Amino acid sequence: MIPVQFERVWTAANWERLLVGDLFNKGVMGGLLLTLVLGLASIVVATLLGAGIGVMRSSPRRALSLPSAVYVQAFRSVPLLILIFWAYFFPPVLGMQVSKFTSVLIALTLFTAAYIGEIVHGGIRSVASGHIEAARALGMSPLETQLRIVLPQAFFNMLPALTGRYVVSVKNTSLAFLIGLADLTEIGKQIGARLMTAPIEVYVTLLMIYFVVNRGLSLLMRLLEDRSRFNRIFLRI
Amino acid sequence: MKLDWSILWGDAGLLILQGLVVTLQLSAWVLALAFLLGLAFGTLRWVGLSATEPVCWFYVEFARNTPPVVQLLFWYFSASYLLPGWLFLQLRDFGYEFGAAVVALAIYHGAFIAEVVRAGLNAVPKGQFDGARALGLGFLQSLRRIIMPQALRITIPPLVNESVAIIKNTSLAMAIGVTELTYQYKHIDIFAFRGVEALAAVTVIYMILCTLVAALGQLLSLRLSRHMTARRGLRPVLSSE
Repeated sequence: MIPVQFERVWTAANWERLLVGDLFNKGVMGGLLLTLVLGLASIVVATLLGAGIGVMRSSPRRALSLPSAVYVQAFRSVPLLILIFWAYFFPPVLGMQVSKFTSVLIALTLFTAAYIGEIVHGGIRSVASGHIEAARALGMSPLETQLRIVLPQAFFNMLPALTGRYVVSVKNTSLAFLIGLADLTEIGKQIGARLMTAPIEVYVTLLMIYFVVNRGLSLLMRLLEDRSRFNRIFLRI
Repeated sequence: MKLDWSILWGDAGLLILQGLVVTLQLSAWVLALAFLLGLAFGTLRWVGLSATEPVCWFYVEFARNTPPVVQLLFWYFSASYLLPGWLFLQLRDFGYEFGAAVVALAIYHGAFIAEVVRAGLNAVPKGQFDGARALGLGFLQSLRRIIMPQALRITIPPLVNESVAIIKNTSLAMAIGVTELTYQYKHIDIFAFRGVEALAAVTVIYMILCTLVAALGQLLSLRLSRHMTARRGLRPVLSSE
């Protein structure tokens, strides 16, 4: 049995590298900070893109719903790792230069947008058709019905699934280490390779950090699910 | 840049086919083990014994909230040190990356399947269980004959999603050197400089595999619920890819 001593990993210098990478000595962001920035950026862009795809998918016009259905099916049936490899190794073939960060961000965003599109589609379908008919009968235009009746209700219906997707996005940023981006996993691996004596401590530390971040994200999103609190904070009613 | 697709009919194609076989083997092992784990933990959580609940909670939440690739690295690089010395040395001579990948991915997906199973069991009305017990069926008997068959129909769509996720997540096993499809792409890229062709081939294979499994699941789901009218399955709240 190998003694487990976390002090070997948890020195001040290692903590700094794990949390912010080489931000202070070389000005290059890394570690947990990079993971969070990558996760947050992809979540924001993918939500906007996914909302568009989901609304298109729910359209009665085939010219709108078919392309988004094809997009969703195509991106959901390929591993994210393969998409990252496409985004990182294909542009140089065409003579373009893409940084590791950008390629991971693009792959992660396109991948997540497909799932969010499906969630938005499900959320829109979950709104009772009587509400739409009532809004139309009251003289609202189709666009107004969507914006004021369907989407606000769909938003609360799809919050739990969205939370799940966001957690998956944060988890998926860990794949960036496979093309050598200095995210939390890569820095952890580097620290482990440098110490050579703490194989257990390094990965347990990584797992604990990811766990805390993802549980925190879940709890934060759960605050939104309380509709009256949401209205009080964001709509001031 | 000129693409040369003919290499796919040579050694590179053979490598990709070998990778496909490993991917399928890995997926099958992971699916079987993850299903058993999920069934055990899901049922345990449904029963809700206060003695086992903390353990179940810890397993499910920890497995679902940490990246699968870090779990993979943990089981391959860390957990192997906890094994007895002679076993570790033997495993190291033999090579245990396939086993480690099976264990890691099964534990990861088992947690998701446990939640699917629990949600499915919860979706069966409580009166069904009480009725079965009142009619004199034992605990396991009523679970197996009354509750499980009804829960199965509800859990098929999320289980199919999990199967697709398992096929996709086997690509992570390349991080510890399992020679599956994604690893073979990397191999061809490095040794033959034919990355784009190999990547395209691998992408198409994954697409066909996943679409096939999803379509089969759709058929199964339709068949099992043909006596119902357009009932939607439960969607898992956290998903795994």
